[in-house]
Amino acid sequence: MERREVSFRIYRYNPQADRTPFYDNFRIAVEKGITILRALNHIKEQLEPRLTFRAFCQAGICGSCAVRINGVSRLACTTQVWDLLTGSGDGPILIEPLGNLEVIRDLVVDINPIMEKLKRNYSWVRPAIPEEEMGRKEHLVSDGEFETINAASDCILCGSCYSECSMMGVNRRYISPPVLLKAFRMNNDTRDTLGCERLREVTADNGLWDCTHCHRCTEHCTKKIPIMDGIHRLREEAFERGMTQSEGARHARAFYDDIRDLGRLKEVTLPLRTKGMLGSLKMLPLALRMGLKGRRPPLLVKRIPQIERVREIYSRLEANRGER
Amino acid sequence: MDHRYDIVIVGAGGGGLFAALEAVRTNPRVSVAVISKVYPTRSHTSAAQGGVNAALANKDKDDTVELHLFDTVKGSDYLADQDAVEYLCSQAPAVVRELENLGAPFSRFADGTIAQRPFGGTVKDRCCYCADKTGHTILHTLFEQCLRRGVTFFNEYFLLSLEHADGACQGVIALDMRTGAIETFVAPVVILATGGHAKMYWNRSSNAAGNTGDGQAAALRAGIPLKDMEFIQFHPTGLRKSGLLVTEGARGEGGYLLNRHGERFMARYAPQKMELGPRDLVARSMETEIIEGNGFESDAGSYLELDLRHLGAEAIRKKLPQIRELSMHFEGVDPVEEPIPVRPTAHYAMGGIDATMAKTAVRGVYAVGECACISVHGANRLGGNSLLDILVFGKLAGREAALEAPERNAHGITPAAVRRVADEIGSYTGHERYERYGIIREEMGKTMGDNVGIYRVEERLRKGVEELRALRERFRRIRLFDTGTVYNTNLIQILELKNMLDLALCVAVAALERQESRGSHYR
Repeated sequence: MERREVSFRIYRYNPQADRTPFYDNFRIAVEKGITILRALNHIKEQLEPRLTFRAFCQAGICGSCAVRINGVSRLACTTQVWDLLTGSGDGPILIEPLGNLEVIRDLVVDINPIMEKLKRNYSWVRPAIPEEEMGRKEHLVSDGEFETINAASDCILCGSCYSECSMMGVNRRYISPPVLLKAFRMNNDTRDTLGCERLREVTADNGLWDCTHCHRCTEHCTKKIPIMDGIHRLREEAFERGMTQSEGARHARAFYDDIRDLGRLKEVTLPLRTKGMLGSLKMLPLALRMGLKGRRPPLLVKRIPQIERVREIYSRLEANRGER
Repeated sequence: MDHRYDIVIVGAGGGGLFAALEAVRTNPRVSVAVISKVYPTRSHTSAAQGGVNAALANKDKDDTVELHLFDTVKGSDYLADQDAVEYLCSQAPAVVRELENLGAPFSRFADGTIAQRPFGGTVKDRCCYCADKTGHTILHTLFEQCLRRGVTFFNEYFLLSLEHADGACQGVIALDMRTGAIETFVAPVVILATGGHAKMYWNRSSNAAGNTGDGQAAALRAGIPLKDMEFIQFHPTGLRKSGLLVTEGARGEGGYLLNRHGERFMARYAPQKMELGPRDLVARSMETEIIEGNGFESDAGSYLELDLRHLGAEAIRKKLPQIRELSMHFEGVDPVEEPIPVRPTAHYAMGGIDATMAKTAVRGVYAVGECACISVHGANRLGGNSLLDILVFGKLAGREAALEAPERNAHGITPAAVRRVADEIGSYTGHERYERYGIIREEMGKTMGDNVGIYRVEERLRKGVEELRALRERFRRIRLFDTGTVYNTNLIQILELKNMLDLALCVAVAALERQESRGSHYR
């Protein structure tokens, strides 16, 4: 077996002892085939018993050991040390706690906010079957119906998407990707009866419409779940259910209409259509500051020449939706 | 801090969560708290891939509860409590349907019913599944339903002690891992659902790091008997470093088992069936090879090789993608290019807290799931019966607890009891202490694997008992290096090691005492 000395640079913070967080360096000999988690265990057992991290199943299914490795959120137990070394490189490999969550100690973060958000957003099935008839017979569910929620039910709540989400970075009250994914999973379960109430909660302030489509959740999902697809589907559902009066929905509608009519966005009237008169007035100072910096959207927006091709995309999308 | 509840459930895997759910459904007025050392969705139930047995007869129309019962009793090598098995199997269809009704996703047949597949040791195809993530989806469904019902959770609380007085339950003492505070949970009813203890084989175990038998050890210290501790189920092909399972499918597709001489050694043990002999026979043969020095040596101990290369890259990528990913993730080995290092791995504990239909010897104390020995698995467990066990008896305990709790009162937990556990924790930091956690734990895993493993010989069992006694002696001088109170995982390691050492001695002594071969126990 190939062996090599590798350096690890690990985030440390013990609120009882340290005024500020710092980084600790460790250099250990590792064999090819060793995971980051095994390296952490080795450091804890041989060098620094106070090093603090979570780990449980060691098999990539419980989600406990998610940390940021070289800046990317992933599971320590399924990440090979060797994959992070280039050529004959020996690190250092940077290990930090998940982002967007409070650090309790070293690599351990407080995940209660995720639990609270799950609770607030009805992250469960409310079945149609009355309590006293439970267990008597199965719902009949087609394989297609199961497939719709199959990938979403892979979620292990490891928190990687929560840590990577760019919206979470600016607003801790944001609903967050795993909670949106759960809402998608529940709202597309044909046995559930809470769809409307759940969606109303999910589309409230700091909710569904605040997602910026950065796709980081999908990119960094440790179970390769297409989380963004679920978020898109929820937005479509909001329109289908006529939940079009929120700021977010109006904003999306304005984009939809402009692109269909002109092939480009009428930025000048966007605030008015999204936030209404009063809301737009509040944005005036921002608009002025933007103007001073040279950001002046055109007052008149001309239709693009190839508008027919844009409309063809629209009609194909509509046809697709009809099929579904 | 002192808490008072009608029912306290320790452990938030499938058994604990179903108990909580059933308790609040049975009587919404009882107060229920679930305490768990990990967040509920991280419990080891999530690792169960295969499925859950229930005679729904969706596949084989002539399947019946009686056939399931017979398979289970036969599989147990006739050591199971047959009344308990009858309850288990007769409740199975309803409990699986109920889970389905509550939103658990299941794979489906073309007619929309729950899909069922064949599993080892059964005459009918009755294992209900959700792809290869059955336990995970069941665990999440139960957690979601507990959130729906507003069940109170104390997450990352570690069980320190089970308290009873005059033969009746008084509650538990637990450590809040986040603050380091020792808190009491006074309750007339406690349900222990803390999971198995097969991690005592450490690197030779497929279990999660936390399957350290905390409930069993607490029960033992509280004077509640343990039962059938000698019965540990081994799986032939665990990965060398982690003990994680490489499923039987790899050998089913034609994989070879090789020793360090490049020999397909199974030819000497099962010339007809070769690698596809019965699970316990293959495991025993592999163990013999390792003991006789025919294994490969490594830092992580001796191992054998599972060679798939002759199947071709195409077949491996197509038919065994999970196994390929597993070997790459956890051994850094691509089976297309290199053989997978494997050896038998401890997988499941049939023994545990002695319980009759989930009730233990102490009034108000229940035990369910792998931590319990309701004796539905006897000397060997059938695949697909462990998820069933936690569901059926979790539910039963929840209901019984909700009926019993209002009629009973807990007097409380004495300050002396709290002082006792606090003193013990405080004592670990003394400067005169020098024994290290990692070393004792490593030696425990090694002696369990070498002497109390699959192949049990009196001489080696005696050696195992002796070595475990010596390790327990050394544990008295173990040193806690982390003296902080916030999230002290060094302390948790030591408390878990203590639990494992106590239980390991039970396993070794029981294995020495049972002089027959029975089920998983081979003398």
